[in-house]
Amino acid sequence: MTGDRPLALVVLEMFLLVLLGPLFTGIIQKMKARLQCRQGAGILQPYRDLTKLFQKGAVQADTTSGFFRSIPVLVLAATVSAGALVPVVRMGPPAFPLGDAVMLLGLFALARFLTAVGALDAGGAFGGMGASREMTVAPLVEPVLMMVVFSTALAAGTTELGALAAHRGTSWFLAWGAADFLGFAAMLVLLPAETGRIPVDNPDTHLELTMLHEGMLLEHSGPGLGCMVLASHTRQIVTLGLVAALFFPAGPAGGPGATGVLLGAGSFAGKILVLAIYLALVESSYAKLRLFRVPQYLGVGFVCALVALALRIL
Amino acid sequence: MTLETVHTVIDDIGALLLFTMILIVAAGQIYRAIYAVAAQSLLIAIAGAVLATSTGNRDLWVIAGITLAVKAIILPWVLHRVVQRMDVRREVEPVIPISATLVLAVVIVVASFQLSASLGSVRQAITGNALPVGIALTLTGVLVMATRKTALTQMVGLFASENGIFFTAMAVTQGMPLIIEIGVILDVILAALVMTIMVLRVRSTVDADIADLDRLRG
Repeated sequence: MTGDRPLALVVLEMFLLVLLGPLFTGIIQKMKARLQCRQGAGILQPYRDLTKLFQKGAVQADTTSGFFRSIPVLVLAATVSAGALVPVVRMGPPAFPLGDAVMLLGLFALARFLTAVGALDAGGAFGGMGASREMTVAPLVEPVLMMVVFSTALAAGTTELGALAAHRGTSWFLAWGAADFLGFAAMLVLLPAETGRIPVDNPDTHLELTMLHEGMLLEHSGPGLGCMVLASHTRQIVTLGLVAALFFPAGPAGGPGATGVLLGAGSFAGKILVLAIYLALVESSYAKLRLFRVPQYLGVGFVCALVALALRIL
Repeated sequence: MTLETVHTVIDDIGALLLFTMILIVAAGQIYRAIYAVAAQSLLIAIAGAVLATSTGNRDLWVIAGITLAVKAIILPWVLHRVVQRMDVRREVEPVIPISATLVLAVVIVVASFQLSASLGSVRQAITGNALPVGIALTLTGVLVMATRKTALTQMVGLFASENGIFFTAMAVTQGMPLIIEIGVILDVILAALVMTIMVLRVRSTVDADIADLDRLRG
């Protein structure tokens, strides 16, 4: 099987995503702080938080089962392996059998499921509430994400993300089909929900009844919490990478050799940065929705994705 | 511009028109619906300009200009002022839940694509997806009119519906005679003025709204 991305490159991309994940969270937080006229913490703050968490000891509730301890590691593993499926520095199919976009979404769903199970396992009230809310929102988000992926995959004839991105090639807005606009609109509606940001979730609060994701992390501590936090950073950058692969695969074509890889990584960082700016702007300009309004908000994304799919098929 | 580029551009504008329509249907606040309908009119003006360059029809430039001035600027501004005068913010009040309306909107879009696919050779003569998009816009505008209780939101639905008819006419005929288009636009302005005056009058004299008028007996 010949492909453009050998094993070493895929592994490199995976580590790059994990390493850069906290940086982009830091950048978003810094931009948010600036937009709200605050100084804000430095963009390296998430790294400091992570190092601190990994140096701490772990405390757990007496009611937890033996499975609880392994959950953070499993969640991190699922998220990181999802990261391996996203093309970063170079487009094109991988040189060996790797998963596709469906697998990526499946791994995300697995991570989400494990997080919810962990929250329920500890038996805390907040954890249970957060888990039940997350499980309410997840069935609204995942099908839409799936439909957006399918609406682009239909044109390319493959669900493998690298091949999908390569099929799109260097096309920019001008070469976008009608369905791409609607798919991208659906993606923009969906992004804050998928990355756990403001219209749907609030990443800054730990003790508010509106929270979804943070509520599920309350029972974790020390390295376990560190794993969960790192997983959520990684999940965010992987989601942004998925959007970049689906809609903006263009950029300095990563040729062979180190320069190609560097150029590819640079353009990837640029694309992620644009999406990060979008997220920061949305977070600063909207208020958190009431939980019962969330289905209506996500309904817009659902309808856009469905119409995109309809445009592609009919 | 080659014919193929025109097709793609009109298709893309059609997709964006559908997106603004979804925003109108999903809007929970009347301001958002007004902004969305203004954006929709702007897109139609752009579509008119694109068709004007491709066909060389000078009338289309005039029509695009009038659309931009009247429908994208003046009408939204009038609606905006009425909303301010009436001092309402969340004046949408759907008859059925907004999510149900969204589902109906999807059904309409899919049905209009399906129906216009059955037109076969007739459709080949029409630029891109303009026909199904136009039908979908028109019907969804009617849907908005039918599922909202207040007059202002129904007006937004009417303008969206009118936009759909306009878009279809423009793309199907490659530019209708100027006199007809101007007549249509004058009608829209007149309708908007009469309706805003009616809304304000009814509101100020009897403090009732359209939804209260269904029990009138002669």
